[in-house]
Amino acid sequence: MHNRLKTKFLGVEVKSPLVLPAGVMGMSFSGMHISKINGAGIVTSKSLTLQPRKGHKGPVVAEFEGGILNCMGLCNPGISDGLVEVDQFKERSRTPVIVSVFATNTADFLKLTTEVNKSKGDFLELNLSCPNVFDEFGIPLAASKEEVFKIVKAVKDISKLPVIAKLSPNVYNIVEIALAAQKAGADALCLINTVGPGMAIDAKIVKPVLFNKFGGLSGPCIKPIALKLIYQTYSAVEIPILGMGGVTCGIDAVEMLMAGATIIGVGTAVYYRGIEVFDKINHEIIQFMDENGYESIDNIPRLEKSDV
Amino acid sequence: MNKRATIKISNIIKEAKDIKTFVFKHNLGAKPGQFIMLTDFEGGEKPFSLADCDTNTFTVTVKRIGEFTSRLFQKEIGDFLSVRGPFGSSFFISKGSVLLVGGGYGTPPLYFLAKELLKNGASVTVVNGAKSKDDLVFCDRFRELGVHYSNITQLGCLGREGTSVDLAQSALAKTKFDYVYAAGPEMMLKALQPILKEHEYEFLFERYMKCAIGICGNCTIDPLGIRLCVEGPVLPKKLVEQLTEFGKYHRDATGKRIEY
Ligand SMILES: Cc1cc2nc3c(=O)[nH]c(=O)nc-3n(C[C@H](O)[C@H](O)[C@H](O)COP(=O)(O)OP(=O)(O)OC[C@H]3O[C@@H](n4cnc5c(N)ncnc54)[C@H](O)[C@@H]3O)c2cc1C
Ligand SMILES: Cc1cc2nc3c(=O)[nH]c(=O)nc-3n(C[C@H](O)[C@H](O)[C@H](O)COP(=O)(O)O)c2cc1C
Ligand code: FES
Repeated sequence: MHNRLKTKFLGVEVKSPLVLPAGVMGMSFSGMHISKINGAGIVTSKSLTLQPRKGHKGPVVAEFEGGILNCMGLCNPGISDGLVEVDQFKERSRTPVIVSVFATNTADFLKLTTEVNKSKGDFLELNLSCPNVFDEFGIPLAASKEEVFKIVKAVKDISKLPVIAKLSPNVYNIVEIALAAQKAGADALCLINTVGPGMAIDAKIVKPVLFNKFGGLSGPCIKPIALKLIYQTYSAVEIPILGMGGVTCGIDAVEMLMAGATIIGVGTAVYYRGIEVFDKINHEIIQFMDENGYESIDNIPRLEKSDV
Repeated sequence: MNKRATIKISNIIKEAKDIKTFVFKHNLGAKPGQFIMLTDFEGGEKPFSLADCDTNTFTVTVKRIGEFTSRLFQKEIGDFLSVRGPFGSSFFISKGSVLLVGGGYGTPPLYFLAKELLKNGASVTVVNGAKSKDDLVFCDRFRELGVHYSNITQLGCLGREGTSVDLAQSALAKTKFDYVYAAGPEMMLKALQPILKEHEYEFLFERYMKCAIGICGNCTIDPLGIRLCVEGPVLPKKLVEQLTEFGKYHRDATGKRIEY
């Protein structure tokens, strides 16, 4: 049955199109492991930086009806310890790993790439967008097509792994940025990162809930934005898309495919439906395929490309 | 959705030199072993085990150790604090003869557990240990409950020198227990494990928590990847026995491994 979910991403066979995205459960080898055994076809590490980062002080998450806000602040153990986790995961599993890295300039992205080259990771993802570290890092790199081009090009020149550029939804023209990444040689795109940022207020005590005041939105409320941006990007580029943003059930995942994604990230839904969410969605996709007469995941049709 | 409640502190009880209990009037609906995330919105949101909980009150007992807990110690009755939860797994409420082993500020959640066990008709023995008299809490509360109670300190302030593991060992030699529960410093749990080969047990673990809703991955424990904020903090013997990081390392706020 699971064979029907098999697909390929950048030439690599995956047993499910579902991906554990960056920043969710990817802090340790065991966090990636438990996601895999619960049905994820690919896992992603936490976004790693050159030095360890503690992240923001709490509260770092705030829930609301449509999703959650987070301002984790890119906490991570740093590239060398982070890659130990990636390698330990790979020692136990053949499941592909995306190593996500984050930096604020080309030179640091290159240092990170050099380290990732020595690891057992399968793909390199450049997190060019992180709305909740605005204060320290200025506007996200993904807001500038020149910056995106420069970084992706430089990394592609030295990376031994296929390179995925992760884009921010919080830009004026995502197509322009996606085309810049493609032109620079990106092998695939990942979108979307969290939306906003947004804010929550505690009315009783008259204070922002998040200590960082602002945090990126994820979960069901961002799905319509994700679908729109994935569809627009898919219409304009040739390279595959790792689509994500609010996917919570099988139909959501199918919609992502129809919008143009090749594989699909499931992040915040781990909270709503437990770590078993990957297998639950796998089953729901199969159910959809049964009901609608699709033999394999690759038979699910895509929308016609649009010129808007 | 986990609701956040911002509520006034309704009482503060000084337990020992650096240990205070905070009482809140609120229907939290928690079970023994579960925890809350507590914040004052001044920087930091931290996990604390429920030391007691019924339909209109809950309490947490806090040891002052760093920035956040020091700020908590300056709060007064009537000040607002904000709570998320309850989170995580809870202790199995068994019947029969049970042994509760507590160390330091790990003991208070066992008080909540003892109450529920008694309600269920269990025969409860509690052994409580701490470094010194300054860290030993809840002695009177346990005595008032009517459980078999004994305590000990490492410095011997109360006569005998030793740990709660020593007390557990002699209790296990004397009585046949159906179930053992423990909460306290990780090295105490580690020392306890080998003397519980023949017993069913549950341990309450601590790991660095951030989201408490099972997505950030900071609190996972190797090699299983169990999240202590969801599948924990209370883990049964069959899971504890599989943990390779137990008593060896934990992770700090960056996710880096820190050896014990
Ligand atoms: C499930 C659970 C239940 C707990 N129950 C209690 C309790 O009932 N009473 C009590 O006094 N303490 C309890 N703790 C520990 C308590 O959370 C820490 O003492 C507190 O967070 C320290 O904060 P600080 O700023 O004062 O100290 P810091 O100086 O920030 O840290 C001192 C030490 O506290 C621990 N710590 C700090 N932040 C966290 C965090 N976010 N999550 C987990 N550990 C942390 C670390 O070991 C750290 O080295 C519990 C922890 C967990 C995980
Ligand atoms: C707690 C949390 C932490 C995240 N950390 C990262 C990160 O380190 N790097 C990154 O590129 N994206 C990060 N993201 C964004 C997710 O990878 C994903 O793009 C986004 O949450 C949308 O998907 P979802 O709605 O399925 O969660 C994080 C999201 C959450 C909720
Ligand atoms: S604290 Fe985030 S997963 Fe447990």
